[in-house]
Amino acid sequence: MIALGCIALGAVLLMLLSAMPKVRMEHCSLFAFVTLLIGLILTLTSFGELFTFFPLPKFFHKMLIVDSYSVYFDAIILSGALVTSLIGTHYFQTKRHFKKEFFSLFLFSVFGMMLLVHASELLSAFIALEIASLSLYVMIGFQKVHDKRVEASFQYLVLGSLAGIFFLLGSAFVYAGLGTTILGEMGNRLDTLMGKDVSLVIIGATLILVTFLFKISAFPFQNWTIDVYDGSSLPVSAFMAATFKVAIFGFILRLMLVDFDPIRDTWDTLFIVVIIATLLYGSFLAIIQKSLKRMLAASSIVHTGYLLIAFVSIGYAGESAASSIIYYLVAYFLSAMGAFGLISYIAADEHVRVTYEDFRGFAHVHPYMAAMLSVFMLSLAGIPSTIGFVGKFYIFTGAIEAGYTFLAVCGVVATFVSVYYYFKLIALMYFYPACDSDWKDVPSLKGITPLTIGLIALAIIWGGIGNTFIAYFPGVDFLIDTARLSYMSLFIK
Amino acid sequence: MSIVLAWIVLLPLCSFVLLGAMYLFSITQRRIEQRYFTFVALFSPAVVFVLGLAALRELMLRGHALHYRAYVWLHVGDYRIDMGFLGDKLSLFMVFFITLVSGLIHLYATSYMNKDEGYGKFFAYFHLFTACMLLLVLADGPLMLFIGWEGVGLCSYLLIGFYYQNNANVVAGNKAFIVNRVGDLGFLIGLAMLFFYGQSHDFSYETLALHIGAVPSEILTGIAVALFVGAMGKSAQIPLYVWLPDAMAGPTPVSALIHAATMVTAGVYMVARFHFLYDLVPHVGIFIAYIGALSAFFAALIATKQSDIKKILAYSTMSQLGYMFVSVGLGAYDSALFHVFTHAFFKALLFMGAGAVIVALHHEQDIFKMGEMRRVMPVTYATMLIATLAISGIPPFAGFFSKDEILSVAFGSGHYELWLIGTVTAVLSSYYMFRLFFVVFEGTHASHSEVHDVDWVMKAPLIVLAVGATFAGFLGLPELFGGKHLIGEWLASWRREAFHLSHVVEEILIALNVVAALLGIAIAYRKFRFYDRRVAYKPEGIVYRKFYVDELYDVLFVQSIQRLSRFIAETMDKKLVDRVVMGMSRGFVAAGTRIAWVQNASVRLYAFIMIAGIGAASCYLLAVLR
Repeated sequence: MIALGCIALGAVLLMLLSAMPKVRMEHCSLFAFVTLLIGLILTLTSFGELFTFFPLPKFFHKMLIVDSYSVYFDAIILSGALVTSLIGTHYFQTKRHFKKEFFSLFLFSVFGMMLLVHASELLSAFIALEIASLSLYVMIGFQKVHDKRVEASFQYLVLGSLAGIFFLLGSAFVYAGLGTTILGEMGNRLDTLMGKDVSLVIIGATLILVTFLFKISAFPFQNWTIDVYDGSSLPVSAFMAATFKVAIFGFILRLMLVDFDPIRDTWDTLFIVVIIATLLYGSFLAIIQKSLKRMLAASSIVHTGYLLIAFVSIGYAGESAASSIIYYLVAYFLSAMGAFGLISYIAADEHVRVTYEDFRGFAHVHPYMAAMLSVFMLSLAGIPSTIGFVGKFYIFTGAIEAGYTFLAVCGVVATFVSVYYYFKLIALMYFYPACDSDWKDVPSLKGITPLTIGLIALAIIWGGIGNTFIAYFPGVDFLIDTARLSYMSLFIK
Repeated sequence: MSIVLAWIVLLPLCSFVLLGAMYLFSITQRRIEQRYFTFVALFSPAVVFVLGLAALRELMLRGHALHYRAYVWLHVGDYRIDMGFLGDKLSLFMVFFITLVSGLIHLYATSYMNKDEGYGKFFAYFHLFTACMLLLVLADGPLMLFIGWEGVGLCSYLLIGFYYQNNANVVAGNKAFIVNRVGDLGFLIGLAMLFFYGQSHDFSYETLALHIGAVPSEILTGIAVALFVGAMGKSAQIPLYVWLPDAMAGPTPVSALIHAATMVTAGVYMVARFHFLYDLVPHVGIFIAYIGALSAFFAALIATKQSDIKKILAYSTMSQLGYMFVSVGLGAYDSALFHVFTHAFFKALLFMGAGAVIVALHHEQDIFKMGEMRRVMPVTYATMLIATLAISGIPPFAGFFSKDEILSVAFGSGHYELWLIGTVTAVLSSYYMFRLFFVVFEGTHASHSEVHDVDWVMKAPLIVLAVGATFAGFLGLPELFGGKHLIGEWLASWRREAFHLSHVVEEILIALNVVAALLGIAIAYRKFRFYDRRVAYKPEGIVYRKFYVDELYDVLFVQSIQRLSRFIAETMDKKLVDRVVMGMSRGFVAAGTRIAWVQNASVRLYAFIMIAGIGAASCYLLAVLR
């Protein structure tokens, strides 16, 4: 909770500071970084403990909650933001169109996301969601001179608002049906209503799900994804792809596990259709992309599909499915962050569209970067000895345990297809002679950004191999254990 | 105190690492003088020998087996596998002669490999081999034995191909490795079955021996045969023997240590180690005995026509190993191990003597280009004579007692045909060995230019081994001669049943054996004593061509597999797999392109799709909630 306040305070301060002419870009960037770091440290102090309470009940009543679950998500979001700021350092410094306010907005969006996972009430969740989204809209369109950015920002704004409407409508329906919008209490009321007509609640919850599906870009609300990711600057895409999804899942999982548990079966068929369509659509789109950024955007749709597979499994194997979602989010966050980050590092201003062809023979010129990029691709494709494999493994075994073998098969087929578009990059980098475009404008491996990316690559491998080599060092088991712990904290009465 | 067992294995391993590091340093950084390598190379085997003796003494004092558990290797549920070492009478007996012979061969090799570029590398491999061999012997469970088993195989491969610049050596190394792989597969299957059926809390010999009775007998037969397939590979028995003659491509000390004295006897050791298993399936034992007898005879027959000195010795090794398998097959593990023991002395001696001759003649290996070597190298001549007498089974040399014991076992067990094959083989053995001896050391009209005798570093081990080859047999003096069978007593628990022969029968058998040996010598004497080197000797015929087994294997296995691979690579893969995969990927890309039309950055369309999706969801809800 203090972490949340810290971020909010930092955002406001930074906004005021950026008005001063003496303060430069670098200072703002550093300030944001330090704020995030303090937030993360504050979060980690209560990481791995089992607890739950409502902070300042006099002010907030039960609108906010602090428990192991939200702390776990706080930690992911904050480290995501931290990594974004580290990876972005180079990018923000070379691209002069970023202004100081950018970092303030960045902190605000982080604040919004954290608030979302702490939200214990539908309206406060909506406010949090909008804080995060609005900041993101502006961050995407920050480079006003570039049409693509503005277009992406506008598209996201329009469609996001459209989706947001349904959240409000859904909340109204739920309120009408249950007489409360507070999480936990909704679940209790719903239990007492069991056996009676709860159509209003179901309709309302479905509408809330629409917003959720939109934000995580599931079919049929996925069209914006590619355009927006492609339109925004790379660190922002990374931030969106990795961190925002985590926050959304953080809230919706709480909602589903705690409150809508009794009516969840209603959506089974709906979800199965959505998952298959999402996997198919994402795979087809990813396969034909020529730009890496668009490919990563399209493949993020496929990853949403995988996550949704775990999401439907919750009904039958709650604990393992929920923790597998959380684990997969971490896995995807690392891999996507690394991939986006490294590409943003490599891409100079002239390469607005970084295509596959640009990477022909890249490994011969920059072996280390190529190796790191390969690690990220391998992890995204879910090849063993990377964290992506472990994540997928948990999801698919969870689905089979829950009886959704068919979905698991679909997921595996999608993974199989994904090898095509992920390995295409590896093949191009390694198996072809260097292309004509010389990579002289690629910055050398110096500074904080490549270091961070390298550490992410190591973390990916570490997560895949786990505790095999050094006992008593936090690895896979630790992550999955804390994920379980955070899941348990949801049910403390 | 039993920690000494671990050190027996660890010390050569450490010196391997040290030598390897020194060698790498020497070739990349600054040259290290050869004497430093020599120091490490000789220091470690000497200490290991002393440690082996210490362990032996400890065993005698205690009266029960030493057992040292270094640490828990694997721990799954209740099941645990220890890094454990077992020092019982069998393993320490093996350690004793392995360290002794290996030490002498190390000394010999310092001279043999003198000034060689890969001096350091050679000894690094040699020490790794020693470590693996000792691990194999001292392991307290099949899994650790398997580590050693694979380790010695690896070292054998590395050392056969030591002069890898010559392609033939590399091919020989590959052949040894691949043929052994076939055997190891059998061994692995046996281990897996043992693991699966020997359900208990760990995987040591001790526990296995306790629980083996519960395994159904058909399964036991399977395990016993599968494990023996491993032994066939390692100990060069029919049909997996083809690698051993080719393995002579390695430097001669390698042949002496690995392919004569130690590694190839691992199969015999393994069967003796699993005696609790083989005791329960005597019919598999009979099978083993027949394989052994056939190998012994077959190899001896081929050896009579060979002209490469090392290949003759290789076939003779195979033949002697055959004798050992006859013995283990019949349950007389102690007699087999007695022969392993004596064989280690005289075979190492033969190889080292041959190596001396080869060095003296500037790496000439064809015996028909040698001749009259007794004049040049009298010490080698004398020691070789002792070894040749020993292998031929002339009393009182070592080979006589052990071979005689095996033949009496064969006779006593009632398998007279095994005994007959053994006796015929004995004739052949003394024939081909004396053929070699006469051609190399006697003969007439040899004209060698620049022949020199080898130095004393090479000769000293020969003399020590010659003493061994002369007197080692007395450790197993049969009661008939009023002696005490020390080795038989020491390994008393490694004998399934005693075969009692009356003294008369025993005396007749001994007489027959001596006659057989003398017969062989006589034929060889007539044919080769005055062999004239000027007469070109052109061996021919099916025996010289080794019965075309290599060619047969080539056609049967190598070429057919290659043809199959080619079929898979060229037809299956290209025409079937590639087409399907490429077709699928093309289909995907086409479908993707078609779908992409909705992805046209039109916000109106996107919003429409969203609304349509919500509409569909509403319809679904209508259907569900009705």
